[in-house]
Amino acid sequence: MYLQLAWRNIWRNPRRTTVILLAIIIGVWSMIFENALMRGITVGMIKNSIATLTGHIQIHRRGYRSDPVIENSITEPEAVIAALKRILPPGTQWAARVRVNGIASNARHSSGVTLVGIDPASEAKVSFIGDAIAGGHQLQPDDPHAIVVGEALLDKFETKIGHKLVLMSQDTNQEIASKAFRIVGTFKAEMQSTEKQFVFITRKAAQQMLKLRQGLSEVSIVLPDQQESGVASRLKAILSPNGYEVNTWKELLPFLRAYLKLLDVFVYIWSLVIFIAMGFGIVNTTLMAVFERIREFGLMKALGMKPWWIVRQVLTESFLLLIIGIIMGNILAFLTVLALSDSGIDLSALAAGAEFAGMTRVIYPIVSIKDWSIANLLVMVLGLLICIYPAAKAAKFTPIEALAYT
Amino acid sequence: MMASSMNGLLPKGMFGRFVKALLPTALIWFTGSVGVGAMDAETLVVSSFNYMRGKASISTVEMVIHRPDWERRMTIKAWTKGEKESLLIITAPPKDKGNGTLKKGREMWIYNPKVNRVMKLPPSMMSQAWMGSDFSNNDLAKSDSLIYDYSHRVIETEINAGKKVYHIESRPKPDAPVVWGMLKLKIREDLILLSETFFDEELKPVKVMTTLEIQLLGGKLYPKVWKMQKAGTQDEYTLLDYKALSFKPGLPDRFFTVSNLKTIRR
Repeated sequence: MYLQLAWRNIWRNPRRTTVILLAIIIGVWSMIFENALMRGITVGMIKNSIATLTGHIQIHRRGYRSDPVIENSITEPEAVIAALKRILPPGTQWAARVRVNGIASNARHSSGVTLVGIDPASEAKVSFIGDAIAGGHQLQPDDPHAIVVGEALLDKFETKIGHKLVLMSQDTNQEIASKAFRIVGTFKAEMQSTEKQFVFITRKAAQQMLKLRQGLSEVSIVLPDQQESGVASRLKAILSPNGYEVNTWKELLPFLRAYLKLLDVFVYIWSLVIFIAMGFGIVNTTLMAVFERIREFGLMKALGMKPWWIVRQVLTESFLLLIIGIIMGNILAFLTVLALSDSGIDLSALAAGAEFAGMTRVIYPIVSIKDWSIANLLVMVLGLLICIYPAAKAAKFTPIEALAYT
Repeated sequence: MMASSMNGLLPKGMFGRFVKALLPTALIWFTGSVGVGAMDAETLVVSSFNYMRGKASISTVEMVIHRPDWERRMTIKAWTKGEKESLLIITAPPKDKGNGTLKKGREMWIYNPKVNRVMKLPPSMMSQAWMGSDFSNNDLAKSDSLIYDYSHRVIETEINAGKKVYHIESRPKPDAPVVWGMLKLKIREDLILLSETFFDEELKPVKVMTTLEIQLLGGKLYPKVWKMQKAGTQDEYTLLDYKALSFKPGLPDRFFTVSNLKTIRR
């Protein structure tokens, strides 16, 4: 009976009901959508960071991470590679690199870059460079003079494919090594800063230029599933005593990890802010409805309705409003996310600003069960809680007061 | 890179291996322009390079860095020996006095008296400007690049003020670690470098160095003023003006050391 009465009651004033429903729908929609966006941003950031030469696990000589100089490179990679072959689960991809800081210059410009010597074939399966070639062609493993640079670097240096770029860095004898390379291709990356930072040459060319012989700077591993901690600890057991460092991406990117935590908290705060705005609307409207019906409540009380029943009556009405609003808000949110799941939100026009925040160029919203249930529960539980106030108000009127009320 | 720009600042000595190259030069002295005409571009550049450097030298140079809205002058005392070693100390203005640069081979050290520190230049600083001028550290460190990294070709000759001037086009050798796409040199028949133009890979000029006021300096004909100018600008240049220059048969090895960089105050 409560339900039927409540249902009829809320449609006694359709305009008011529509307004309050709209408030709930927009609130729920924005909560779910906003959270999906946040998740999308973080997942994009993680993916991008892992693909940008990080991988799930990295192996360095101890000391390289705090001081990435040539002296701290892995001089005998055979031991490391043997350990990798023994431990890595099937399906794992790994790539060995030479990675040092250097200077790239041409006739008009020069700038600091990170010189990365790669094996094009194995690197393609580990990092973004595999399918990021935008112009020219990918490095050939046997081309000692080829270099692949970012589109942004190409623009900055006012040069083009086929032209020369001179790289300078310190070699293992503490002397300045310089070598001329020819630009064979360009790559496009999620971030302009990546395009400006990294230049790729073949591993052999880098080893020869820096007099490294077989030396490497790092080994980067990408696992088929993201269960990096188990593999990392097994690698650590073998490699740590020999002076190597094994780190997972969570250790390699502490800033990103802190940022993710911050975003997690931010999701709750954001939901609460939306709810407070929405809550005032709900209370206000319900209170209005209650005052309008004072004489009605007085009559019900006079007929013998207990105060608790009146509270129940008002809460049932609020419940109906909330459930309709939540369902419609959910539908709207899912439609929006679905519509954006293919193309994503393209921030290319604002790339510089997005990059400043560490975001990728395109955001794909992602709904997680956790965020979704938090949003819905928050609206439902808190919505009912704040409606107790008008409900209690309605229950408090005595029949005499109600009659005297005009 | 800009080999001859540094030749000007630091005239350097000839080396055994260039004696062969110099023999024809000596002949030219006596036989005149006919002999020069017979000389190939490679020999001409090497001879000129060595002529401009001498065996060892001590010089005082005033450097003027000119920009559209300001100008800076400093006086530099320079000792050079051979093609590898040089020591430069700033003597004026008082603010910069004592700042020094030591070059040995392709390595460079700088000394700042205010912090009393000698620093070896890392690769990251090699392409920065030397003392804020239009010369880069690389221009100093790789001054002999012109001889080793390029192949030269005479493209035309002209007669200017009664002397034959060779126009030489220098292209970098395929693997040479140089940034320029091409250099154009003008060398007078008496081996004096008149100008050097630096081109990028599109063969557009980037900067031009010219020598002016050729006169008797340190016992031989030598340009007194060297001017390095960015292409396409009129008021951005660096001038080197020789106030004193003397060539020596040699200087002791111990002169070009890091400890001397710190202690020398003249």
